[in-house]
Amino acid sequence: MSHGTTTLAFIFQGGVLAAADTRSSCSGLVACPAAQKILPVHSHLVGTTSGTSADCALWKRILARELRLYQLRHGRRLSTSGAAKLLSHMLHPFKGTELCVAATLCGWDGGEVDECHDHGGAKIDLSGRRETTKRQMADLGKSVDTSLEKAALAQSTSSTIVGQQCFTRKKVSFSGPSLYYVCSDGTRLQGTLFSVGSGSPYAYSILDQGVQWGLTVGEATSIAREAVYRATHRDAYSGNCVDIYHISSKGWTRRSREDLKEEYYREKERQERDGT
Amino acid sequence: MTDFGLRRLKKPGRNGGIPLQFFIPTLLNSAPFKPRPSLPFSPSNHSVTVSRPFPLSHGTTTLGFIFQGGVIAAADSRASAGGLVACPAVHKITPIHSHLVVTSSGSGADCMLWERILAREIRLYQLRHRRCLSICGTAKLLSFMLHPFKGTDVCVALTLCGWDKEAGNTDCAKRSEDSSFITDDSSSAVVSRRDVTAMAHSASPNSGPKLIYVCSDGARLKGDIFSVGSGSPYAYGVLDRELRWSLSKEEAISLAREAVFRATHRDAYSGNKVDIFHITAQGWSQRKREDLKEEYYRDMERRVKIVEERKRVTKLDASG
Repeated sequence: MSHGTTTLAFIFQGGVLAAADTRSSCSGLVACPAAQKILPVHSHLVGTTSGTSADCALWKRILARELRLYQLRHGRRLSTSGAAKLLSHMLHPFKGTELCVAATLCGWDGGEVDECHDHGGAKIDLSGRRETTKRQMADLGKSVDTSLEKAALAQSTSSTIVGQQCFTRKKVSFSGPSLYYVCSDGTRLQGTLFSVGSGSPYAYSILDQGVQWGLTVGEATSIAREAVYRATHRDAYSGNCVDIYHISSKGWTRRSREDLKEEYYREKERQERDGT
Repeated sequence: MTDFGLRRLKKPGRNGGIPLQFFIPTLLNSAPFKPRPSLPFSPSNHSVTVSRPFPLSHGTTTLGFIFQGGVIAAADSRASAGGLVACPAVHKITPIHSHLVVTSSGSGADCMLWERILAREIRLYQLRHRRCLSICGTAKLLSFMLHPFKGTDVCVALTLCGWDKEAGNTDCAKRSEDSSFITDDSSSAVVSRRDVTAMAHSASPNSGPKLIYVCSDGARLKGDIFSVGSGSPYAYGVLDRELRWSLSKEEAISLAREAVFRATHRDAYSGNKVDIFHITAQGWSQRKREDLKEEYYRDMERRVKIVEERKRVTKLDASG
C-alpha cells in the first residue's frame, strides 16, 4: 500500500518524531509541491498520511471528530492505541474498495488506563486516576535517560495501576509516546519506527543506522530530515520540502517547513570542503 | 542481425585487418515475427507457454561504486524462489577477466548463462585482436546480444565493474598467471602510466575505473554508483549518505558491507552473506565471504556502546 510519498515516524526518549515530504503527485505530474502530509488530530496526536490524499484528509477529519466526541462524552482523551483501533474499524467496511489510506498515528498518551471499554459497569474514579497519572508521569520523567528499561518501566507502572483496580486481563495500557500504523487493508501495527510510501526503503536504511532511544531532539530531527532528504533524492514521487513534527508530553510542535534544495546545496558545499 | 559483423568492418587498421565477429544470437525462425512453438528461444507471445513450477522473483541486493581506489562491487548471497530461500550461498559476482567482474540480478539461470556467453566472447575477442575489449565495448556487446530476447521472459540485470586499460596495452589475462602478450613499443609507456595510482576525478574516457549497468530491457547506463535488486533502495540510502570520492579502501569496503547489511535487514529476499570485490588497475581481488549475522551483532554492540557513552557523558555533566 505505498503511493508516491515518503513519511516516517519514530519513538525516542523525547517523544515521537514525525516527518514527511510535501510533494503530491498524480500519475507523473506534481500536482502540488506544498501539500501537507502530516495532519494534527488533536493536541497530542498527529497522523502522517500516505495513499490517496483525498481519502486521507477525509478520514483524518472523521477520526478527529470521533475522538473529540469521545473526549466530550467520557471526559478524557482516547489513547493512541484506541484511536488506531477506532480508525481501523471505521475503515474496515471499505476493505476491497479503492479506498487507500496508510497512516501512522503518533501520539503521546497521558497515562489514561483504557479500561472503560472493557468494564462497562466499573465506576470511573477520575480524581483517583489523575493522581496516579501524575505519579506515572513523574516516574517516566526520571527514567528518560535509561534506554532499555523505559518500556519495561511503563509497563510495570501501568500494571500496578491495573492491579489496584482488580483488572484481570493480561493487556497492559501504555502511557507515554506511542506509534501505530493503520492501513485501509486492515493492518494495524504498533511499533517504534515506521516509514510509509514509495520513498520508504530509502528512508528505512538511514533510520536503521541512526535511530536509538537515547537521541536528543536535535539529533532526532536531523536524522529524520536526512532520511526524508535521501528518499526524495532517489524517489521521483517524493520531493520539495520536509515537514517535521515533534510530539511530547506537552503536545505537538511543528518546525517551519524546510526546502530540501537547501539541504542539497549544503551537502555539495560540504563535499567541496572535504575535497571530494 | 547477421549483418552486424560486416557492418562494423570500418577501420581495418585498428583490428589488424581482422573483421569483428561477435555471437549475436538470432531467433531460430528467420521471419522475425512469425512465432514457432516448441523452440527453446522463441518469444513467449505464442500459444504454447511452459508453466513454471514456482514463481521467479528478482530478490537480491547488489551494488557497485567508483571511488579513488578503484571500483567496489558487493552483493548478498541469497537466491529466492517465491517465498523459499532456494540457496543461501550463491555467488552473484562473477569475474569475467582479470580486470572485469559482473554482478548479477534477475533470474539466476539467465544470469549464469549470459555471464558464460559474455566471458566466451571476450576471450575470443582477446585471442583474435590481441587486446582487451574496453568495458564500454563489453557492455555494448552484451546489450546487443540480449536485444533479440527483449519482450521474452529473459530477465538479466548485470553491472559490469571493471578497470579499462590504455588502448594498446594487451595485458588482459584471464587469470593472473597467464603470460602477457607481446606488444609493440607503445606498451612500455603504457605500463609506466598504469603504475600511477592517483587518478583525476574525471578519469580520461579511455581508461580507469568503469561501472556500467546493462539489463535485458535494453538499458545500458554508465555511472558512478549503481545498486540493483529488490534491496537496492535500502542500499541507495546508505550509499548516498556516505559515499565520497576520497574514501580509503577500508572505508569503502565497510561502506559496501553496511549498505548490503541494511538492505538485507529490511528486504526479505536478500540475506545470508556478503561478497565484496575490489577492482584496481592491477586486477580484481575478492574478500573472504562474511556472514551478515556477525555484522548484526557488531551493530548491536555498537549501539550498546553508544548508550553507555551517553550515560557516562551525562553523568560527567551532572557531576562536573
